[in-house]
Amino acid sequence: MNRRRFLRNFIAGGAASALAPRLLRAEVAVATGSGQFARGLATQPWLAGWKSIDSESIGPITATIEGRLPKGFSGTLFRNGPAWFERAGFRYQHWFDGDGMLHAWHFGERTVEHRARMVATSKFTREQKAGRFLLPAAGTTIPAAVLIRNNDDVNTANTAVIRFNGRLFALWEGGSAYELEPETLRTLGPVSWREDLVAAPFSAHPLVERDGSLWNFGSLDLLSGSGLLLWHLGADGKILRTATLATTAPGYLHSFAMTERHLVFMLMPYQLAQGEGAAFFERLRFMPGQPCRIAVVPKDALDAPQWFEVEFGAVYHYADAYERRGEIVVNAVRHDDLADMRSPMAAAMRGERGSAATKMELVSLHLDLTRGRARWQASGVRGLEFPTFDRRHDTAAPSRLFAPARVEPAAAPYFNAIAAIDPARERRSVHVYGADILAEEHVFVPKPGSRRVGEGWLVGSLLDARRGRSGVAVLDAEHVGDGPLAQAWLPYAMPLGFHGTFAA
Amino acid sequence: MNTASMRLLPLALLFCTIARSADLDVTITDIRVAKGTLMIAVVDSAAGWDDQAKAAAGGTRKASAAQESFHFANLPPGAYAVKVLHDENDNGKLDTNFMGMPIEGYGFSNNPQLLRKPTFDEAKFDLDAAGGAITIDLR
Repeated sequence: MNRRRFLRNFIAGGAASALAPRLLRAEVAVATGSGQFARGLATQPWLAGWKSIDSESIGPITATIEGRLPKGFSGTLFRNGPAWFERAGFRYQHWFDGDGMLHAWHFGERTVEHRARMVATSKFTREQKAGRFLLPAAGTTIPAAVLIRNNDDVNTANTAVIRFNGRLFALWEGGSAYELEPETLRTLGPVSWREDLVAAPFSAHPLVERDGSLWNFGSLDLLSGSGLLLWHLGADGKILRTATLATTAPGYLHSFAMTERHLVFMLMPYQLAQGEGAAFFERLRFMPGQPCRIAVVPKDALDAPQWFEVEFGAVYHYADAYERRGEIVVNAVRHDDLADMRSPMAAAMRGERGSAATKMELVSLHLDLTRGRARWQASGVRGLEFPTFDRRHDTAAPSRLFAPARVEPAAAPYFNAIAAIDPARERRSVHVYGADILAEEHVFVPKPGSRRVGEGWLVGSLLDARRGRSGVAVLDAEHVGDGPLAQAWLPYAMPLGFHGTFAA
Repeated sequence: MNTASMRLLPLALLFCTIARSADLDVTITDIRVAKGTLMIAVVDSAAGWDDQAKAAAGGTRKASAAQESFHFANLPPGAYAVKVLHDENDNGKLDTNFMGMPIEGYGFSNNPQLLRKPTFDEAKFDLDAAGGAITIDLR
């Protein structure tokens, strides 16, 4: 790895601003300032999902319960997402830029309590003190940005959250995991799993084995290197193995899939457009004319990947993967709209209504291990994202999937329903929360004491735009169409997030 | 030695006297942690920049505040470049991770917007006989 090249993408933001800071500032203030967003929000209440937070913590507060919490359902839904979008009248243009806020929805027997706190990353702490955005962002050019030491200087810890090794971590994709105190959500700091791996990228989507060990990757492309850093951590939080998967061309990936025996990494070809001054996602250009390259890596031989090529497809999130008769099948949500892929909900970030999030489809990726061939198979199920499933699933058959979906009429160009999809039986059941509700990822929670796959609940967060309140819903995972058993609401609305995890 | 150069000698000596009086003040900002040691080197050549020649001046100080200043007196006027390292764990070097990325603070004169060590030319500035003051933002 050439030190000269590290993080060129991120630091480039600073270079441009040095040339024309005033010009940039003036343009940005007019085009994307807080004022324009506020005007949009005044007439489109659903934009509360992209409104900036302006306090470091919210709550704790007891939520108002509608319906009845199921017996035996207790624990905490932790969620993470970008929440702080504006400082000094300057508003980020890209959803992924917002600083992360950790939410904890604590379910007691008859109560639901919520609290949230900004992750005190070094970026957030420095910018709180300065009163303006100082650091380069992943998707927005920041005027007069300061120089950065390394990628953790721009770590927003805003994408996902996991419980692992009895600890709580807020995750991003280009730097360290941030550890937080589970009870108070107080930030403990960035984690280095080993001395030489300080600030090494640790993706937001690690996958946990049945033995409690954890697999993850970090994209070195994001740091202007190349290849993937592979992580295998033991249940005790100690590194079992790391390896570098070499790649021959730039490939973007946000998450990965795994079967019992293999890890599956799909690399989407891209180039960075000219313009040293611009942020990574501003310069990112997917290359739909070129195939995606897929590495199937045996868990017991990280240095022996089998490579596949498949027609270009843009994926952020994978669902389950299984292996049978020499074939690996990976379920995924594939995006057709590459502009939206590059900057999801970009219009909402500006305070405008863009086209609805419908140009994504549940697909399966079939990898023939014997012939070395890969192909996509469409499902016809469209307009959904953030798929989840029961992690106790059968490793040789498709799982029942759960995903926020969009069903007209809907006030927001976003998901307003939760769907359960059974690919094996081609069955679907949907609960529509309502035209004014925005629905987020729903996490599967196994029923305590149950060993039957699929037996459990779904818990997911909601935003009721008309009444200006955020909430959570609990459903019977086997009767999604019946709607929630219980919902719990706060007296205020908070921005939407991305991913969560449930800790019983 | 010919006559002309002999005549010039007093003038040259005069310049030297002025030259020795140039002072340089270096303010270091954005020191992130109040521990470890700040190490600063003032060099007057590309060789010095690359540790192939002795620095013109230098110093160390315990880091105890977000901002620290160094004063260097009696430098001959000329081109200089300054590098600063914040050895947070006092092991005598700039620690880096597996990718070669610095994980301790560092900075250079001119605060070049680069993600690599700048060259002497990119970091150099002119110190004239009246002396000068620069600010280095640690990263």
